[in-house]
Amino acid sequence: MVRSDQVTKTDTETQSPFIFRDGVIQTLLDLRVYRLAAIQKSAYRFAEQFTAVFDSPKEERLPIRCIFAPTVTEQDALETLRLFFQELLDQELREQVGDETRALRALIVAQAFSRTDLIRQD
Amino acid sequence: MFHDRARYQSTQGYQLAPVRFSRLDAARYVVTNDAGEYVVLSRQELVDFIGHSLPPDRPTYQALKSRHFLFDAHSRVALELLALKYRTRAEQLANFTGLHIFVVTLRCDHSCAYCQVSRQAEGRLEFDMSQEHADRALDFMFRSPSPALKIEFQGGEPLLHFERIRYIIERAKAMNAVHGRALQFVIASNLSRLTDEVLDFCRVHGVLLSTSLDGPEDLHNAQRPVRGGDSHRRTLDAIQRARQALGPDGVSALMTTTHASMERVEDIIDEYVRQGFRSIFLRNLSPYGFAVRQRASRQYGVEAWVEFYKRGLAHILRINAQGYPLQEEFAAILLQKIFSPRGSTYVDLQSPAGIGIGALVYNYDGAVYASDEGRMLAEMGDFSFRLGHLSRDSYESIMTSETLLAHLSDTMPEGAPMCSDCAFLPYCGADPVFHQATKKDAVGHKAFSAFCKKQMGVLRHLIGLLEDDAQARDILMGWR
Repeated sequence: MVRSDQVTKTDTETQSPFIFRDGVIQTLLDLRVYRLAAIQKSAYRFAEQFTAVFDSPKEERLPIRCIFAPTVTEQDALETLRLFFQELLDQELREQVGDETRALRALIVAQAFSRTDLIRQD
Repeated sequence: MFHDRARYQSTQGYQLAPVRFSRLDAARYVVTNDAGEYVVLSRQELVDFIGHSLPPDRPTYQALKSRHFLFDAHSRVALELLALKYRTRAEQLANFTGLHIFVVTLRCDHSCAYCQVSRQAEGRLEFDMSQEHADRALDFMFRSPSPALKIEFQGGEPLLHFERIRYIIERAKAMNAVHGRALQFVIASNLSRLTDEVLDFCRVHGVLLSTSLDGPEDLHNAQRPVRGGDSHRRTLDAIQRARQALGPDGVSALMTTTHASMERVEDIIDEYVRQGFRSIFLRNLSPYGFAVRQRASRQYGVEAWVEFYKRGLAHILRINAQGYPLQEEFAAILLQKIFSPRGSTYVDLQSPAGIGIGALVYNYDGAVYASDEGRMLAEMGDFSFRLGHLSRDSYESIMTSETLLAHLSDTMPEGAPMCSDCAFLPYCGADPVFHQATKKDAVGHKAFSAFCKKQMGVLRHLIGLLEDDAQARDILMGWR
């Protein structure tokens, strides 16, 4: 989660809390709010829109630089980042589901194939 | 005696079942499970469901429970049922390799710009399959455990080497007296060499024909050049004769979408209706053979193709609503994967991938490939999907080759980044040959994958229609 004291208003008149400068948006993600796996999966999914470069976490905050292609406008970059944060929420939910159901999925697969023989014996 | 409904409501909360979810549109999510069942939820419903705060008296709760997305104190057999459904979907894996493609020649009399197999001139007999290789390929085919075996003759133009086709079919039938499989034969042909002798043979042996019809006359002739410039007329004449000899379902047709087709999807569909077809497969161009050598201006992006597809499907649904039953085959395959307990056997959308275990290709030169696209890729110099050779390798060595097994395990969507948590996974599959061709990597980064964009685009559209358009849903449900 981005806290209001971690970002400044943009140079432009937009209401976005992010700064788009030289094709890059930098921000900090709170690892107490988003799991690293969720952040990495979101960045992977958005690889066509921007390249995410992570630095070492500092005090549970992960610095991330989102590097856009030279042709991307500020407006498009900010909209992409908005969608990225939505994706982060989705990925966080997926991690939650994964944590809760991983063992059950293994059990279902084991149960499914417990009485079958995928290789014919004849 | 009947108890009050409250007696059956959960009082101890619920357990989440393994689920995947993806956005359907700005407001809704598709949620699926491993058995291939789906529900559509709003974001709030999804958050409530995952957060264990969905009240049991809500219709959404009942929908999720009945489809095994959650278990509560009253769903005692749910886990067993879910496992049974999962096993049913995977069952066909044991009966592997039902499709065997014999490339009896690479020669062709057409010179289509989008040809994906790098055809050869008519006189070059060195591009024909030998009898020795045909014999060996038949031996391989009958080693496959599948109880149903389909032999598909491909080219080039396979009818230019009809004697080999005749030999293979007659020998397959003789061998089958011992093996007892359900045999099916299909010749994929432009039909330009469809003689009465060929038709008579097809009628006697129950051989089906599959041809290419790219749309109305001007479009078809421009895309499929042949000496005389009259491919369309010849194709329609041949279809007519084939129907007379083999019955109305004895010949089917396929179209390929080129840049010139993009604005004419309605014209193409209307041509199929005019010619009395009951189905059409809206197919995009594959990145193999001569198709990739075309100038950039003649290519199109996957987003444009998805729009082409949506327009086409809308037109087909209108035609159905007017009383003419016409099925779109790609949608039918996906609907089968969504609604049928066994999914679909369509080779290009399987997990593990259909390479080798869905289809084997015996090339004219004796090489064995894991798929038709794999041999097309080889014609471009990439032998990633060449499994071996009929003269030198055994069936066992080919089916357990590192080339095949590594591709199968590496590309399984259940373990691939982005695919593993995608709601559309049960309805999708792996296409290692496509990703090898376009990204030089059989798994492929799905954020950049045209295959992924196509699947997501079409599946979102189909589920949207099923959810929002009652008339479309009625028609689509008839295609499963």
